[in-house]
Amino acid sequence: MKTSIAPTIQQKIQIPYNYSAGPAMTKFLRGLKDKVIYASLCASCGKRSVPPLSFCGRCWQPIDSYVPVEQVGAVESFVAPAAFPAELSSHPSGAGFYGLIRLQDCSTNLVHLVQAKPGSSLQIGAVVRPVWKEERTASIMDIAYFAAE
Amino acid sequence: MSAPVKDRKAEDDVLRVPYLLQMEYEYALGQHAIRFFHELKENRRLMGVRCPECQRVYIPPRPVCGICYVPSTEWVEVSDEGTLIGCTVVRLPFIDPMTGEQRPVPYGFGIIRLDGSSTSMFHFVDETDDAKLTVGLRVKANFREPREGNMRDITNFRVIGTAQ
Amino acid sequence: MPQKVAIVATGQTKHTSRRTDVNQREMITEAIRPALEEANLKISDCDAVMIGNMEPFEGYMFPELWAVEAWGGYLKPSVKFNTGGTVGTSTIAAAYYYVASGIYDVVLAVGFEKQSDGHTQTAITTVGDPVWERSIMAGALGNFAVMASTYIHESGVTPEQAAKIVVKARRNGANNPYAHLQMPELTVEDVMKSDVIAFPIRRMDMCPQSDGACAVVLVSEAKAKKLASKPAWIKAVATAHEQQYMGDSPKRLAVMRSQIDATRRLYNMAGITNPRNELDVAEIYEVASWAELAMYENMGFCARGEAGRLIDEGVTEMGGELPVNPSGGVLCTNCIGATAMIRVAEAAIQVMGTGGKRQVDNVKTALATGYGGNAWCDAFILSNNSN
Repeated sequence: MKTSIAPTIQQKIQIPYNYSAGPAMTKFLRGLKDKVIYASLCASCGKRSVPPLSFCGRCWQPIDSYVPVEQVGAVESFVAPAAFPAELSSHPSGAGFYGLIRLQDCSTNLVHLVQAKPGSSLQIGAVVRPVWKEERTASIMDIAYFAAE
Repeated sequence: MSAPVKDRKAEDDVLRVPYLLQMEYEYALGQHAIRFFHELKENRRLMGVRCPECQRVYIPPRPVCGICYVPSTEWVEVSDEGTLIGCTVVRLPFIDPMTGEQRPVPYGFGIIRLDGSSTSMFHFVDETDDAKLTVGLRVKANFREPREGNMRDITNFRVIGTAQ
Repeated sequence: MPQKVAIVATGQTKHTSRRTDVNQREMITEAIRPALEEANLKISDCDAVMIGNMEPFEGYMFPELWAVEAWGGYLKPSVKFNTGGTVGTSTIAAAYYYVASGIYDVVLAVGFEKQSDGHTQTAITTVGDPVWERSIMAGALGNFAVMASTYIHESGVTPEQAAKIVVKARRNGANNPYAHLQMPELTVEDVMKSDVIAFPIRRMDMCPQSDGACAVVLVSEAKAKKLASKPAWIKAVATAHEQQYMGDSPKRLAVMRSQIDATRRLYNMAGITNPRNELDVAEIYEVASWAELAMYENMGFCARGEAGRLIDEGVTEMGGELPVNPSGGVLCTNCIGATAMIRVAEAAIQVMGTGGKRQVDNVKTALATGYGGNAWCDAFILSNNSN
């Protein structure tokens, strides 16, 4: 059937969310504002998790201890995306990767932006440190990115 | 390495993290919708499909009758007039996420069985008096001109007669 | 032949409008822990976990991922359900089938919704078909009011009768420590004075929006005998869906095709011929006062047009012949992912005799139902007797 009706329609949906961070994430985010990175510490298995958990899934027990961690880690894995989402596109350039970062003595990885050492390519195992923003608002982006050295 | 800190009870207030989720979709209309909107736009008529087994006429038109699970192949014109099966006057505003705007209240809203159709459709009705907007009223579709070939070509329904 | 299945324990959060003190996964553990304690089980004793949640309402897409440790899923088999208002009962139905299959002995079912993190009315418009329905939506309120008007036209129920339903619900809620709304002093006059938001719906006729979670432990016969002195046996389960567009079943409160179908099959399976006489208590999913009246008719508690008489005569009040929603029902608590599951949990509580102030005397047989989506219906019969 010949028709002027287009085969598709476009729709944009916008839903405003307002998440409760919970006590563990609140501790973590407020720590970032003070340039501290907190991990949770399970009293039973001793694992340190970043970002922190209020509950250990392995031991099935609540956690209420937090430990500031050394601000150095290693890149366990990384990816160079073709494009970053809009909210990161105004980010200082140079951080061309998403990385899984194992901070010292932690059992979990933190996902964040990673910048390779200028003039080098990024490698698994690269040692990275956080680069803090001047103005911090208790957000994961208070760390601008992790820089490989 | 610093010593662990037990201070979960000290902070009772927790952070809220706002996030506006924005998603863009491009939906394929499908052959039945394309035909329906074509007829609506070009010929100002409303078409449904008839199930060859149970004879029900469906608007919106669809590939199978859900009750018989038989392909519906016969197109049938239904009237732009019908009967109000249910109705209300909405007085509580809410934001329409498709437009980001609040629809002004009050507005009439109802479910209408068009003559010739076995199913009904929700739509706006141009009556805002609770005493006057009643089940059984006869209503007629108002069309947007020029028509574009989508559901908004029917703007709302007007009351044309009392309950029978 | 299906194996016998019983509920031996339940857990709930204290439901409320906003839990800003916890996030979703923390809230979930608050419901699971008491359930495990009541059953004297550890999370490692659960062979599988079924979870239920409506993601768009709170924006944690894949809660099966983000809350996995909280709902006990690490290294466990599991399925996630999101079936609208029926999500809680779909989850229980699945848990039932897992145990009834004989493959799993202990299955944990968890329903949860942190509704205050999202914007339900906005998210609900995505329920409408994008091509046919989304530009003509008036929210759940508009749809429901239209349906109620058809029901009133067919049945003749009055606003006062609807108000009595609200009073029954919220006074019952005051006996339930978990209920969101607890109004022990509410009167019919209070309800009649609340403003009409879409005729015939008054503000007080509608359910609230809640944050909450619910957990239920379902086990095989061998386990039930060890874990509980009075297990609540699941005797029958039925589910029915509707046609696809909201206008396909225009009288869908007056004539709830899916509910009629599901409950008739359910009663048949359970050998019930006169539900009003043979049921001792019912926990039904009533989104609003008018819906409860319509459900009395559609579930076969009374003949068409007689629902008003049922509430006028106090048949469904505490102390009446068939108490409906001793927990306060959905009119007191609606955390969508949990709400339908709470109906099953509360029915189980009645059979197990642990209802405290909301306990109905001598409960042998209970009905629990879920309702949601485009008028879908799930229904269960629970009994104190495994035969």
